[in-house]
Amino acid sequence: MSRNRKSSIDPVILIALGIGFVTIAIVMMVSQSNTYDVNIANNAGGTSQLAVAFITGLTTGGLSCLAVQGGLLASSLAHQIEQDYLEQAAQKKKQRGKKNQPLPRSNSAFPIFLFLIAKIVAYTLLGALLGLVGSYLTLSPATRAILMILIGVFMLGNALRMFNVHPLFRYFSIEPPKFITRYIRRTAKGTDTFTPLFLGALTVFIPCGVTQAMMAAALGTSSMAMGAALMFAFTLGTSPVFFIVAYLTTELGSRLEKLFMRFVAAVVLILGLVTINGGLNVLGSPLSIQNLTRNLLPSNSGRAPVAQAAQSSFAEGEVVLYVQNEGYFPQTISAPAGKNFTLNLVTNQTYSCARDFVIPALDYYELLPDTGTVQVNIPAQEKGNSLFFTCSMGMYTGQIVFE
Amino acid sequence: MVKKTFKVPDMSCTNCAMKLESLEDTLDGVKEINASYHKLQMTVEYDESRLTDEQIIAAVKKKGYQALPI
Repeated sequence: MSRNRKSSIDPVILIALGIGFVTIAIVMMVSQSNTYDVNIANNAGGTSQLAVAFITGLTTGGLSCLAVQGGLLASSLAHQIEQDYLEQAAQKKKQRGKKNQPLPRSNSAFPIFLFLIAKIVAYTLLGALLGLVGSYLTLSPATRAILMILIGVFMLGNALRMFNVHPLFRYFSIEPPKFITRYIRRTAKGTDTFTPLFLGALTVFIPCGVTQAMMAAALGTSSMAMGAALMFAFTLGTSPVFFIVAYLTTELGSRLEKLFMRFVAAVVLILGLVTINGGLNVLGSPLSIQNLTRNLLPSNSGRAPVAQAAQSSFAEGEVVLYVQNEGYFPQTISAPAGKNFTLNLVTNQTYSCARDFVIPALDYYELLPDTGTVQVNIPAQEKGNSLFFTCSMGMYTGQIVFE
Repeated sequence: MVKKTFKVPDMSCTNCAMKLESLEDTLDGVKEINASYHKLQMTVEYDESRLTDEQIIAAVKKKGYQALPI
């Protein structure tokens, strides 16, 4: 029996394992560094921001990016797939009449890998550029909120487009100019190495909704190093999902791709709603899900002592709000109407984005120290008024109710 | 040279338009193809002495789409 068959390990498994290990290593590094308060470029919350960026990429960015940038990836794979198809056809012809022999293995893993490497490099450079630009301008929470809502609407439109809800939603997909598509097409006929590298780099021109949100965050870092690190972490996070999905869709055929795209559409739809909701929180709108439901649900369960401590200090004209990694406690503060008071924001080894504290109605924004107390003067408010507070990403929220 | 527009109802993304435009490079007698995902249609400028509607439709079918003359 001949043993001339190459004992090959599927390159997909190797690359997937590699990406998996890098992913685990980075998550471990980030969680370790949180303990020691390592901040990159003196940007507060640096490591936690990187962790959020990485996890965002890992959980949502990959799918969202794939929905928008899948075309470029497909172009970069087209040549390889064509070559595989021709090889397989030739092999089948040769084997006609012979016993079963394995057909050549598909080689789409390598171009996907090159594509992703180029994408990571391009976005890291873009992050550095955005950080540099951001150091010259500051995005106010309101601007950021509007940006988030616009991005959310864009994502929602794209999801509805993928679901084929109405022809109108097709306009949420940006058609690149003809000269670019012609150029890409001609490049896609090039060598296997150059094409995916070049097209991977081109993805900076068609960022998906989640990527755009991260780009806005990179702009907000106001630091070249932090902007680059943020985009690197995010793009690295998107890579495993991007890789696996791209590989599966090219390997498992169009029927599964269609099914999977429905799944992607559902995820993008949810993400779009979450992004819009975050934007509403940062705007201080009572229409966000948290602000609408806060009074319906029992909040702060198990945090009663903290809430009591906060209330008890009102007599001295001061109240404490604990800013923790998991959010703000208590989430609802009852304050007497018609009286000024001081809100003491207390952090204790807080590294999450809860430190980026915003009271939209007062136009108040402060990046809190990871450990310490910051005082905010809250002006007298009318009875029945509510002041919403949130982190700058609209993830953690709370309110002061005036009674 | 003539210019004809075809409806391509099963385009699902901008990449489909790119795929259809790539027929420019392979279909003999074609001068230019402009495909639009937004409009779900493609306009082909071609030499009718060298190419027929049916050949275009067949080439589009080979790419996995259905082209309907408008």
